Amino acid sequence: MNVLLDNFALFREGFLGTVELTALSGAIALVLGVVIAAFRVSPVPPLRYFGAAWVTLLRNTPLTLLFFIAVLVLPRLGMNTWSFFQLAVLALSCYTSAFICEAVRSGINTVSLGQAEAARSLGMTFTQTLRLIILPQATRTVLPPIGSLLIALAKNSAIAGGFSVFELFSVQKTLSEQGYNIFLIFLWVAIAYLIITFFISAVFRFLETRLAVAR
Amino acid sequence: MNLRKTAAAAFAVVALTASATACGKSGSPSGSTTPSAAGGSSAAAALPTYAVKTGVKLSGSKTWDRIEKNGKITIGVKADQPNLGFQDPATKKYSGFDIEIAKMVAADLGFGEDKITFKTIQSANRETAIAGGQVDYYVGTYTINPERQKQVSFAGPYFVAGQDLLVKKGSSIKSKDDLKGKKVCSATGSTSIQRIKNGPYGAKPVEYDAYSLCVDNLISGQVDAVTTDDAILKGFAAKYPDQIQVLGKPFSEEPYGVGLLKGDTAFQDAVTAALKSHEDNGDWKKAYDATLGKSGVTAAIPPLDSSS
Amino acid sequence: MTEVSATDLVVLKDVNKHFGALHVLQDIDLTIARGEVVVVIGPSGSGKSTLCRAINRLETIDSGHITIDDKPLPAEGKELARLRADVGMVFQSFNLFAHRTVLENVTLGQIKVRKTDKKAAEEKARTLLDRVGVGNQADKYPAQLSGGQQQRVAIARALAMDPKVMLFDEPTSALDPEMINEVLEVMQQLARDGMTMIVVTHEMGFARSAANRVVFMADGRIVEQATPDQFFSNPRSDRAKDFLSKILHH
Ligand SMILES: Nc1ncnc2c1ncn2[C@@H]1O[C@H](COP(=O)(O)OP(=O)(O)O)[C@@H](O)[C@H]1O
Ligand SMILES: [Mg+2]
Repeated sequence: MNVLLDNFALFREGFLGTVELTALSGAIALVLGVVIAAFRVSPVPPLRYFGAAWVTLLRNTPLTLLFFIAVLVLPRLGMNTWSFFQLAVLALSCYTSAFICEAVRSGINTVSLGQAEAARSLGMTFTQTLRLIILPQATRTVLPPIGSLLIALAKNSAIAGGFSVFELFSVQKTLSEQGYNIFLIFLWVAIAYLIITFFISAVFRFLETRLAVAR
Repeated sequence: MNLRKTAAAAFAVVALTASATACGKSGSPSGSTTPSAAGGSSAAAALPTYAVKTGVKLSGSKTWDRIEKNGKITIGVKADQPNLGFQDPATKKYSGFDIEIAKMVAADLGFGEDKITFKTIQSANRETAIAGGQVDYYVGTYTINPERQKQVSFAGPYFVAGQDLLVKKGSSIKSKDDLKGKKVCSATGSTSIQRIKNGPYGAKPVEYDAYSLCVDNLISGQVDAVTTDDAILKGFAAKYPDQIQVLGKPFSEEPYGVGLLKGDTAFQDAVTAALKSHEDNGDWKKAYDATLGKSGVTAAIPPLDSSS
Repeated sequence: MTEVSATDLVVLKDVNKHFGALHVLQDIDLTIARGEVVVVIGPSGSGKSTLCRAINRLETIDSGHITIDDKPLPAEGKELARLRADVGMVFQSFNLFAHRTVLENVTLGQIKVRKTDKKAAEEKARTLLDRVGVGNQADKYPAQLSGGQQQRVAIARALAMDPKVMLFDEPTSALDPEMINEVLEVMQQLARDGMTMIVVTHEMGFARSAANRVVFMADGRIVEQATPDQFFSNPRSDRAKDFLSKILHH
C-alpha cells in the first residue's frame, strides 16, 4: 500500500488547494499590505488612523477567529454568495496584509528622511515619492521578512482545511479517516509543504541577489 | 444589516470559538448548563454498576503485561460527543455509552473505576495511540473497517451505528434522496462526507473541523443538513429538541469496535468475552438506556465477531 | 496683505513657528526680490534651516504668510507639489536618490513632475551636468561620486525643474575643504546668471562676492540685514559682532 500513489489525485487536489490559497492570498496581501503601509505614513490623519486600526485589529486577532468571522459571521451579514474558498482567501489575505504592512513600514523607515524631502522638494506628490523613491529603496530590506511572511502564509492556509476548503490538511484528515498510517500521510503532507515553502524561499533568494546586482 | 444583528453574530462566533477548542474531528457541546435529556422522553434510567473480577491473569498478551505492571488501565476515549463519549468541562468526569462499555471491559479485567485513567484521543491519533501503547484499548465511535484492521485489532462490534441526517424541524429533506443541491455539513475528511460527495446524492458538501459548527450552521440556515453517525447526531438533537431532529433512516452500517494492539489475540479474546458477558447479563441494555436510549430510540445488540 | 512690489519673489510676513515649546521662528518678515542673492548667516540652532524648509513647506508654519511669486503656499496636496517644483532646494547632505543613476536623478523630476518627454529631459540633464562639470559621470550611481560631485549633481537636479528660486541649506558644510570651491564656483556662476537664491552658509568669500544682502539670524529672529560689505566690516548688533568675532578668529 502506497499512500501517495493510491491517492495521488487527492494529494494533487490538496496540493493545488494549498498553492492556490497561498498564491492568491499572498498576492492580495502584498498589494493590501503596501497600500496600508502607505496609509500609515501618509500625511492624511484619517488614513493613518485607518491603517493603524487595520494593523492593530488584524495582527492581534488569532487567525482561527478571523476564519470564524469570515466563514460564519460575514455570510449572515449578507455576503452569502461568497464561496468558502473566497472567504478563506479574504481571511488569510487580510491577516497577512497586517504583517506585510508592518514589514514594509519598517523598510520605509530605513530609507533616510532626506530621500523623501529631496523628492518632495522636486514637486513629487506623496504617492510619487513613495512609489519612485522610497519603496524601491525599501525593497531590499523588506524582501527577506516578506519571504518569511509568505512562508508563514502557506502554513497558515492549513486552517482553511477546517472550514470547508480542500487543501493539504484536508488530505491528511480524509486519509487518516480511511485508516492509512498517519506517519506516512504526514510525511507526504510535510513534503508537499516543503516543496511550496522551498519554492517561495528560492524566489525570494533570486529576487534578493538580483537586487544586490542591480546596485 | 443592523447593529444588534452584527453584535449577536459576533458574539455567537466568540462563543463558538470558545467551545470548539482543540477538538480534531468532532464538535463539542457547549457545556453542562444545557439540559441534555431529550425532550419528552421518560426519566433517565440509572447507570448500572459492574462487578469487578478478581484474580484475573492473561498469558501471552503484551497489553496485559503492561496493564499489570502499571497497576491501572488506560483507556482512550472521545470527549466531545454527548451521550457517547463526553467529558464534562467543569467536573472533568467522562460519561456516555462508550465510557460505560470501557468500564464493563475494565471490570472484567479486574479494574474498578478508581483504577481507570481515561485519555481523550482525537480520531486522527487513534491508531498511533494504540500502537504506541499510550492507551491499553480505545472505545470511541471507532468504526471497524479493513483499512484500520491493518494497523489495529478490534473486539466487537458492540454497537452498530449508521449514517443519518440531522435537519431543521419541518425541513423538506425527508430522506437521503432529497439531498440534491442541498448543503450538507460534516467533519472534514470524514467517511460520512466522502459518501455524500461521491455517491449519487448530488449534495454540496460543507466541511468543518467541529460538528458543533455544522449544527450552528444548520440552525442559522447556512447548511440544510448535518450528516454523520446517528449516535452522534442524536446527542445534538437532544440539545436543541425544538429546532432540529434526526431523520432516523440510517443508510450505512458503522460497527463500533474496541480498538486494541494489533495481533494481541489473547487480549482481544478477553475483551470479546467481557463484552459478551455484559451483553448477556443485561448491563449493556441498562447502559444504553441510561445514555443513548434517552433519545427515545431503542437499539439491538449486534452479534460479536470473534475474528475481528 | 500689504502692498507687494512686482519685483518681490519670496515674501515672508509675520511668520512664527514652534517646535513644542521652542519658538524657532519669531515674527519673521523677509522679502526677496527677483534675481536677488541673499545669504542667511547665524549661529547654529538660530532657525536658518527651518526658515529654508518653511519656504518650500517641508515645515509647516504656525502663523503668518509666505507667498512665492504672489501665490500663497497651499496646504498639502497636488497644488503644493506643483509650487515646490518652482522652488529648488539643495541640502547639506546632498540627498541624491541612491537607487538611481546621476542622469536619472536629474531627469526624474522633469519626467514625473513636469511631464517632459524622456528624450528632452535627458538632453537637458546632460547639458546641466556639463554645466556643473560632472557630465562624464552621468551613468554612475551617487555612491560612486565624491561629495563635491554629488552636491553639483544635486544642484543640476534642482535646476532641471527651472525653479524660480533656489534654496541652499549649508551646501558646503558636509564637504572636504578641497571640494568646497568647486561647489561655490557653480553657485557663483548661478548668481551671475541672475538666479534668485537664498543661501544659508558661513562662507564669507561667497557672501562677499555673490550676495546682494546678508541676513543675520539669532534665536529665531532676524537681527540684522545689510549689504555684505556693511555687515562684515561694520555690524550694528552686538549679537552679530559676537558671532563674527567667533567665526573670523578661529
Ligand atoms: N524637527 C524638529 N523638531 C524639534 N526641534 C527641531 C526640529 N528641527 C529643528 N529643531 C530645533 O529648532 C532649532 C532651529 O533649528 P534649525 O532651523 O535647524 O537651526 P539652524 O539651521 O540655524 O542651525 C534648533 O534648536 C533645533 O534643535
Ligand atoms: Mg541648519
